[in-house]
Amino acid sequence: MSKYSDELSYGFTSTLAPPVRETRIGVCSAFCGSCSQLRGDVKSGCAQMQRRKFDQSGGCQLGLACGIVSSLTNVVMITHSPLGCNSRYVAMGGMRRTMRASKGKKDEEFIWLHTNMGELDVVQGGIDKLRRAVLYAEKQYHPEAIIIANGCVPGIIGDDIDSLCSELEDQVSAKLVPIHCEGFKSRYVASGYDSAYHGVLRFLIDPYERYDKALNRASGSRDEGEERDRFKQSRTVNLFNVGSNSNGDEVELCRLVHALGLNPRFLPLHASLDDLKHIGEAALNVSVCATHDDYLLGHLKERFGTPYIIDTLPIGVKNTGIWLRKIAEYFHLEDEAERLIAIETAQLEEALAPIKERLKGKSIFVGGGETRILTTAEFFHSLGMKLLGVKAHNVDRFVEDILENVTDGELLIEVAAGMPAEELNILSKLKPDLYCGHVGANGWVTRLGIPTIPLFGQAFNFMGYSGAFELARKADKSLQNTNFARNISRNVELPLSEAWLASDVNDNIKERESA
Amino acid sequence: MSDFIERAKFSCALGGALTTIEGIPRAVPIVHAAGGCASALSGTYNLAAGYRGIGYCGGNMIPTTNIAENNVVFGGEDRLAEQIESTLKALDADLYIVVSGCQVEIIGDDTVAVANRYRNRGVIGASTPGFSGNTYRGYDAIMTTLIDNIIEQSDEKEPATVNILGVVPGHDVFFRGNLDELRTLLASIGVKTNTFFGSGESVAAIRKYGSAGLNIVFSTQAGIDSAKAFERRHGIPYIQSEIPIGPGATSAFLRQVADALHLDRARVEDVIARETRTYYSFLERIVDIYADLDFQRWLIVSADSYYAHPLTRFLANDLGWLPFVTNVHDIDDEYDQARYDDLFKDIDSVRKPIVMFERNPSELVESVRRAWSDNHNEKYYNALTPAYVVGSVIERGLAETLNAGFLSVAFPVSNRVILNKRIAGFNGALTLVEDLITNLVSAR
Repeated sequence: MSKYSDELSYGFTSTLAPPVRETRIGVCSAFCGSCSQLRGDVKSGCAQMQRRKFDQSGGCQLGLACGIVSSLTNVVMITHSPLGCNSRYVAMGGMRRTMRASKGKKDEEFIWLHTNMGELDVVQGGIDKLRRAVLYAEKQYHPEAIIIANGCVPGIIGDDIDSLCSELEDQVSAKLVPIHCEGFKSRYVASGYDSAYHGVLRFLIDPYERYDKALNRASGSRDEGEERDRFKQSRTVNLFNVGSNSNGDEVELCRLVHALGLNPRFLPLHASLDDLKHIGEAALNVSVCATHDDYLLGHLKERFGTPYIIDTLPIGVKNTGIWLRKIAEYFHLEDEAERLIAIETAQLEEALAPIKERLKGKSIFVGGGETRILTTAEFFHSLGMKLLGVKAHNVDRFVEDILENVTDGELLIEVAAGMPAEELNILSKLKPDLYCGHVGANGWVTRLGIPTIPLFGQAFNFMGYSGAFELARKADKSLQNTNFARNISRNVELPLSEAWLASDVNDNIKERESA
Repeated sequence: MSDFIERAKFSCALGGALTTIEGIPRAVPIVHAAGGCASALSGTYNLAAGYRGIGYCGGNMIPTTNIAENNVVFGGEDRLAEQIESTLKALDADLYIVVSGCQVEIIGDDTVAVANRYRNRGVIGASTPGFSGNTYRGYDAIMTTLIDNIIEQSDEKEPATVNILGVVPGHDVFFRGNLDELRTLLASIGVKTNTFFGSGESVAAIRKYGSAGLNIVFSTQAGIDSAKAFERRHGIPYIQSEIPIGPGATSAFLRQVADALHLDRARVEDVIARETRTYYSFLERIVDIYADLDFQRWLIVSADSYYAHPLTRFLANDLGWLPFVTNVHDIDDEYDQARYDDLFKDIDSVRKPIVMFERNPSELVESVRRAWSDNHNEKYYNALTPAYVVGSVIERGLAETLNAGFLSVAFPVSNRVILNKRIAGFNGALTLVEDLITNLVSAR
């Protein structure tokens, strides 16, 4: 279990849409200062009250929600909105294919539809178009599920997609899954994960019914099949994957959990609907990243009674160890875990030794999602690198422990979803040797002349012990030729003004207006 | 704006506005919308237009009001004013263009009026909610606001100077290369070309484009509104043309411009003869392999109207392929479809193409199959082979179904990187042939 989520309640599946995270768990999305100050400000609630004067485009919960559900096998996505929402899918077909190929899953073309709402639909409503789109998807593709993502326009004008789904339920064989993920509803874009899992929980987690055996047995007799199932389930661990983990990560984490004598399986991304029907058949649910899945794990506990662990993210030697120990503890496999960790750590440390020698004393800055950056930063620190600061999209209760454990209270922490202008301001002063960041940030940092490595990627393994080695190898590789960033920065102009670069980032942060 | 679309090859008007602004050097968009719109839409054209990038201030650098539920209730104009003020301090630009998203237009914020308060500080505005149309609508909204607010009135016209309209940055994934090629081409017949988005452009230069003698619109779907705005405000007439690919179309294009500008026809014919000779001196290199290995292909083109006819014309009339089906996915109006269909009268091969207007990829697959007689297990079956699909990356599935060669040329293109590559003109056609034939020899 987790001390973070024990006081949270999970019982929202009777509602049409989940509460946004601002109200459900509280969040800080604008802060710049030291780690110790942030710890205090989060406790007092001040950090959660801040906004920006100059703001830049971050994410949208629609994108994150659809990233989860569109990964499922044999589904068709319908975006109920004007053409722009999810128009990025035009570039995603190939990525879906390579991801599925890397997991050894059957090749599938990615199919999505837009209701293409226009001016007239804003006035008259777009439900009729949506109905035609659903029927078309059913006729052309016979998918197992048709997922309907609701954008801002239908959200504001009040299109009732839930009633439409009820109406069409008996006319199509696909399951209809409405997802309420209107972008304007939440500035904490990870709310989109809750929106996605809300739909999954309500419509796609539908366990097979078990019927009593036709033949009555004398009481006390044993059914071997059932016993086997029960034993298998008692060793099964669901690991919850996220959009930013690769198949390499999954292979590595499965290897480690399997080495404890358990039976791991990754869910729910890229899963089939049949996999989801079996989601309740596990002894334990384990989060890989709290930002993604506390809503899902909390509800699965309510529904199936499956206990869960939400703790750290298994990146780097220390946090992979913590993550494994938590799992082992639940199954009373502490000794096995210690032996495994000892062997793995010894082998890894030996392999890391020459890399550490080269990375020692080099400075680094890490930006991205809260749990991921803090664990990744810890690993770089453990390699002997000098950690100059971190930037988190958001900070919420799920990293309180990690923040408490940061030994350097003066460590610079910036909290911003996106905001490259602030990040570049900070980096132009800190001048790290290397930057490790989220998609969308690395390009800007390269333009500033600082070499970068990505924080995650479909083709990379960064989790577990093998991931730690890969991450170190990547940092080492990057620093052996930094000419790309040097040449780009000399020849490509940044839009930031000199006054901005000279300013204090804190001047841009204000206390928010009410509501 | 009619029915739903399967795998739409478009973004919305705001997306079109952003990709257009990103095409202008040192121009900064300010987006009045929810927080995610700008970077997501910018991402569409960064990732699906041959990795065109995000320009001077795209992606998550785009200033955004980041309005939320309380603004939807109480209005967001104050927040917009604050964001404009702060952007003027934080970002350097030659031009700031405020654009609006769906949420604020539905609730009635007057984005353009707020922008106009900062007019003297280099800020202009345009209304570009996603529901107002697709990418083309956003392009015309930005071009029109430039024409109305930035381009200076000029009584003195330069007769041999032309403005290029209808080449939408990103939506033509080769836009930079094509514009540069058109400029070189027109320079060779003594015409100066203003491209807006090509190499060496600037906001300062764009201000002077009111002195051009003629506008050339390269699309029937984008740029017409802009051309009319030019005509209305600056008195510049326009002609419609097509992006010229290969010797046939490019020669015709040069003659069309020469006639419109009353240029010396003899000089133009000299240029055409010279460039055609050069073109064939390069093409001649593949004559042997083309003939020995029979590289003539059945051709299926699926593209927007900007590329559909030009590609078919080049590949049928110049390269000698067999035009089987040409699909145009962006014309809905039946009258416009009939007019576009007429363009194919200039296909001079024995085999004429079947022209389709399917918007939905899965229906296109069905239609292409229906257009060729099925194999009923005959001993001798005249199959649709060897075939080649030239379209967008979404047609990869069609090509796999037909077991055909495949090259992505029209938006979206996510399976190759395009830097200064071009397919317009004589030179562009050569690179197109290089790419097409490279796929056929890549296993050797």
